Amino acid sequence: MTKDSKPTLAARRAFLAKLGGAATGAAVGAAALGILPAASARTEAPSAGASFPTKDYDWTKHQWGFGVDANKCIGCLRCVEACKKENDVPGNAHQFRTWVERYVYLEGEDHVRIDSHQDPVNIAASGSEKEYRFANRYKDAKVDKGFFVPKLCNQCTHPACVQVCPVGATYRTKDGVVLVDPTYCIGCRYCVQACPYGARLFNEEKGVADKCTWCYHRITKGLQPACVEVCPVGARVFGDQKDKESPISLFIRNNRVQVLRPESGNAPNVFYVGIDKEVN
Amino acid sequence: MPKHIFRLLALIAAGLVVAAIAKPLLTDSSFYRYGHYRADSVPEIAAQEPVYQTPSYCQSCHTERHAQWSASNHKTVVCEVCHGAAKGHPQNGKLPIPKDTAKLCTLCHEAMPERPRTQPQIQVAKHAGGQQCNVCHNPHAPKIAAAATKVTGNEAAGKERAAAACAGCHGADGISPNDTWPSLAGQNAAYLVRILAAYKSGDQTDAAMTPLAQALSDGDIQDLAAYYAGLSCKATSGGKVVGDADRGKLLAKNCASCHGETGIGSNPAWPILAGQKPGYLANVLKAFKAGLRKDPMMASVSRGLSENDIADLAAYYAAQSCQSTKQGKAKP
Amino acid sequence: MEPVIHFAPYTGWVYPNETVFEWSVLIALYPYLTGLVAGAFTVSSLYQVFGFERLKPVAHLALLTSLCFMVFVPLPLLLHLGHPERAFNSTLTPHWTSAMAMFGYFASFYVALLIVEAWFAYRPFIVQQAQQRTDLLGRFYRLLTLGSNDLSEHAMGYDRKWIFALAVTGIPAAHGLHGYVGFMYGSLKSREWWASDLMPVIFLFSAIISGVALLVVLYVASCKLRKIPIDAACVKGLAYTIWAFIMIAIVMEALAFANLVYKGREGIEMILEYVTGPLLIPYFLLQFAIGMIAPLLWLSYMIWRGTTGKALIAGVTVCACLVLFSVFMMRWNVVIGGQEISKTGKGLLSYHMPFFGKEGALVTIILTLAPIAMLFGLTRLFPPWADDATHAHS
Repeated sequence: MTKDSKPTLAARRAFLAKLGGAATGAAVGAAALGILPAASARTEAPSAGASFPTKDYDWTKHQWGFGVDANKCIGCLRCVEACKKENDVPGNAHQFRTWVERYVYLEGEDHVRIDSHQDPVNIAASGSEKEYRFANRYKDAKVDKGFFVPKLCNQCTHPACVQVCPVGATYRTKDGVVLVDPTYCIGCRYCVQACPYGARLFNEEKGVADKCTWCYHRITKGLQPACVEVCPVGARVFGDQKDKESPISLFIRNNRVQVLRPESGNAPNVFYVGIDKEVN
Repeated sequence: MPKHIFRLLALIAAGLVVAAIAKPLLTDSSFYRYGHYRADSVPEIAAQEPVYQTPSYCQSCHTERHAQWSASNHKTVVCEVCHGAAKGHPQNGKLPIPKDTAKLCTLCHEAMPERPRTQPQIQVAKHAGGQQCNVCHNPHAPKIAAAATKVTGNEAAGKERAAAACAGCHGADGISPNDTWPSLAGQNAAYLVRILAAYKSGDQTDAAMTPLAQALSDGDIQDLAAYYAGLSCKATSGGKVVGDADRGKLLAKNCASCHGETGIGSNPAWPILAGQKPGYLANVLKAFKAGLRKDPMMASVSRGLSENDIADLAAYYAAQSCQSTKQGKAKP
Repeated sequence: MEPVIHFAPYTGWVYPNETVFEWSVLIALYPYLTGLVAGAFTVSSLYQVFGFERLKPVAHLALLTSLCFMVFVPLPLLLHLGHPERAFNSTLTPHWTSAMAMFGYFASFYVALLIVEAWFAYRPFIVQQAQQRTDLLGRFYRLLTLGSNDLSEHAMGYDRKWIFALAVTGIPAAHGLHGYVGFMYGSLKSREWWASDLMPVIFLFSAIISGVALLVVLYVASCKLRKIPIDAACVKGLAYTIWAFIMIAIVMEALAFANLVYKGREGIEMILEYVTGPLLIPYFLLQFAIGMIAPLLWLSYMIWRGTTGKALIAGVTVCACLVLFSVFMMRWNVVIGGQEISKTGKGLLSYHMPFFGKEGALVTIILTLAPIAMLFGLTRLFPPWADDATHAHS
């Protein structure tokens, strides 16, 4: 099934790409405005030998991956704090590049209770919208099951957000990270709407879309993403999928991992362990 | 073709030509290089400076702290989790030392039903009575050596064993005849159990105590502890006092949270200091300072003490009355 | 504690990032305006291409209306952008996988088409004015003649062919422009409320009825202002058009809703909770019952009874106003409604429209009225009235 569907999917995308090309041609013909042929002639890299994007880092040699072990997460939110500082994410309790969700099943209830930092109870517990802490709201309740789930951008192989960007201000790098070009984004927020995971936000200050980059500026320097660096319990795993002994390769190999909303066709690259049916 | 149509077409053509010329001119030169985006944006994003450094960055200066931390249970909690991001440090000033540890530590250690069981957790309301965590725990080595154990030994059996093994040095009734060896009478039983077990296991060594303790069974240790704890301590200010007790009193404020204001603490796993031999107290502090005795909390508090400070503290505790231990230690 | 950012109240479970509403009322206004453009152009085409003679009194008005509204279509989008000055990027490097990328080209092509078609339609008038007037306005008209006063039968024959060709091109262009707006929503898999294959069709038919309804209102209002008799046949023709398309619009929307409910995929409970709760009044009552079913029944009654005269004109005008309102509610319910249903399928948000501010109600009202003001000005320069003696073109 999977074996079949993958090439089919790839073929479909290739077809769509061709169709896009044809549509481009048609649009050029019809509107007689676009100068696309000139553009496509420039698609090949002029400097094939040099390493890119930095002189010490070649993006063709890596394929990054991220793992989340929800069994380990204690909901301390140090990852959220670190992410906000590392990436200058707006300091409020509503917009996040990474966040943690809490799932609690109480005895005698047939539905799950889910909350995260935007919940007023949690904001009150932390005392500020710029500090993050889960209120201990279930300490006196009879909890059947409860756990935390860290969330972040899935850096999808077929990202819906990249598909809908009208200008090409967001793209997927060769090493597998979806980035936003903050100097090119027009701020239409179509990508924010298109992401099925709610992973994108609109940065009011900068007037552009904002999202998790797996700390691209860190991983290209040999560091871990900030959230992984500060996680005290090893709930976040990061590494190069091209290296078969990297933490993420081992994590994927040694666990029965799953991804969020596989039916979206986005092919996410954050692999989860220890979540249940209510998590998506 | 009528003139007006020709001119209209010319106008449209001119517009298209302008657009055709303008488009490549205005398009960024790195666009389309690797795909439908500005290739230059990738190195721009990659060039951002990391804000969070790593423990190895901190290690280059804070070697000792790093060594202590990396051997402790907190080794998975990197420096910047508590001290904040290290970018710009030390050039732009110091990093904060968290004051409100009760708030900070409970981020991870407050008992929550939805937390994994493997995570050490405390009932905040019951655990510390509102005290800050770093009063008892060293954040760089948080595990406290002793948990107060229940002592269930037999006093009579202990008395017999003590007469044979211990009385020679620690005195017939647990009051040491000299300044170097500690008095044991009235000491906390849980502490005695812990310290004897440490000698027995080799966690703590002493030329005289190690072989003696190794000869004891676990039951013997229990009995001995029960016996000595039950003895009445007499304030014996024997031995020469070299320190300044008044100065020691000021210093002792730093010890009070564990050992009590006058050297009688609340946790039976920790020793009573009141009325203890000053020479012994001074020796023990020096041993902690030198790393001969191993306890993460004592190592860090003793590190800052000078020779004089140690003498002053010893003088102060030696001069305190151990009598109130009667209430304080009540049978465990 | 003062919130750091304006966020939407919610119930249930929603992703944190969703609590900041990203597409405001301006984005609901945008498809409304394009819809009016497409609808008005349809009316003009019905006359120009399909020879609906009874629509002649509004044919040129329709063209001008189309043009005026089209000029303002990009404005709500520009106001909403985080970086309006970069809007040109979408024409420099249009990303063709995005439904939004072609907007720049499509819109500018369509504006150009409208201007050229209007130019041909008004050429006899422009030439006449250029020859008569000697004032500054005369200079303006002379500029527009492109230096040619050729009104010979040969030249006019060319013009008629051009108008026909432009009108024929304009129909797919106008409808394509609007259909793609529907596609922009329908193609998103992230929101169940939007992800419908019928979305472009729904947008298209609601666009047509809104444009026709707008012309009814504008025509009746212009006749009242100019104190001339209203051509009942024309109004009746417009009424027929509304009647035909409103049925399709209702059926399409009902089908889309039925599909959504019948398929009952993940998150349907929340959608049902939404449509039977917060959406009950705006969706079922305002958009459907009052805005579509009521005009349909009323129009049917008037056609059946053969109502004529003042009763017909009053009836059709009221129906047109209801339709205009209904279509706005439809845009609102799609754009705002889609965001009020959380992507999680487990929660609902509620949008509160500010009155002031860049994306508030006041700006929305101004943007809706601005094309009408522009139309008012343009009718002075280029009178679209078929009865006007100064207007030479047939």
